Amino acid sequence: MTVTTLISPEMAAAVGREYQWATSYPIAESDIRRWVSAMYYPKTPPRLYWDAEYAKTTRWGGIVAPEEFNPFAWMRADPPGSMGPEAATPWPELDLGIPCPQFKANIFAGLEVEFTKVRMRPGDVIKSALRLGGYHEKEGRLGLMLFTSREDHWTNQNGELVRISRGNLIRYL
Amino acid sequence: MIDRETLKPGFEIPTISRPGDYQYWNRYAGVNYEFAGHHMDDAVGQYEGFEAAIGMGPFIHALMHVLLREWVGDDVGRIVKVGMQSRRPWIRGRTLTEGGKVTNVREEDGEIFVDLELYGDNDKGERLVIGNGVVAIPA
Repeated sequence: MTVTTLISPEMAAAVGREYQWATSYPIAESDIRRWVSAMYYPKTPPRLYWDAEYAKTTRWGGIVAPEEFNPFAWMRADPPGSMGPEAATPWPELDLGIPCPQFKANIFAGLEVEFTKVRMRPGDVIKSALRLGGYHEKEGRLGLMLFTSREDHWTNQNGELVRISRGNLIRYL
Repeated sequence: MIDRETLKPGFEIPTISRPGDYQYWNRYAGVNYEFAGHHMDDAVGQYEGFEAAIGMGPFIHALMHVLLREWVGDDVGRIVKVGMQSRRPWIRGRTLTEGGKVTNVREEDGEIFVDLELYGDNDKGERLVIGNGVVAIPA
């Protein structure tokens, strides 16, 4: 039978709901060092990210994380013991408590991130609140494709907004 | 330090490149918990309809930040926004090159904001991603 839509009434009704919250462990200088080592490999990363004495002399006044740094990779402080469910199952239905559509695979479709002037620094604890932005479908090279948009707000331990990201995920049969 | 003479619409910023191989992808996987099979195994990529394993979209997006910082300077500039949409997968074995072009420059609240169009191509000349970015430097 030809599948004409993957969007169930339950999925449509869930649009706009927050569905996942997480709190990072305090960001360690070594987290930042590892991140920039991966990003700049095989070059030596800029000193701003690993040389505290040098970083003090910059406009930032100390080591900061690069904007794209992810403090939620690997284990999160809350939910306790959480090993990054976002990376393993990035679709929202499980957390929303609604049936998940059948699909063969999922791939990244796009991402837009806006940053405030507040940088992530060693010692910061970041909170994430993830909201379902919406669903839409279209036929593509891979057949019927389901696009899922999500919006994620990150704030630090002072309640300051750090970034807002809007991501799109494609699932297909 | 950025050459302020380059803050003009039409200026093409210096490109960056990364080979599409596990040396690079696995380092990113290690810091961003990106262990989906299609990033690690050609057979999984082929099962999902691709020629081989595929690079991580968030890595391509993250590299756009590196691209912008290498131009504007980590110590001086800040990134305001980076948007990206995928067009084709980054297939293992193909080199990714990212670049961009200044589209607008404006001054606001003591900062100079620079808008850019961004792209990522493979070494066959195929466009893998399109994007846009905004950076700010002190006026």
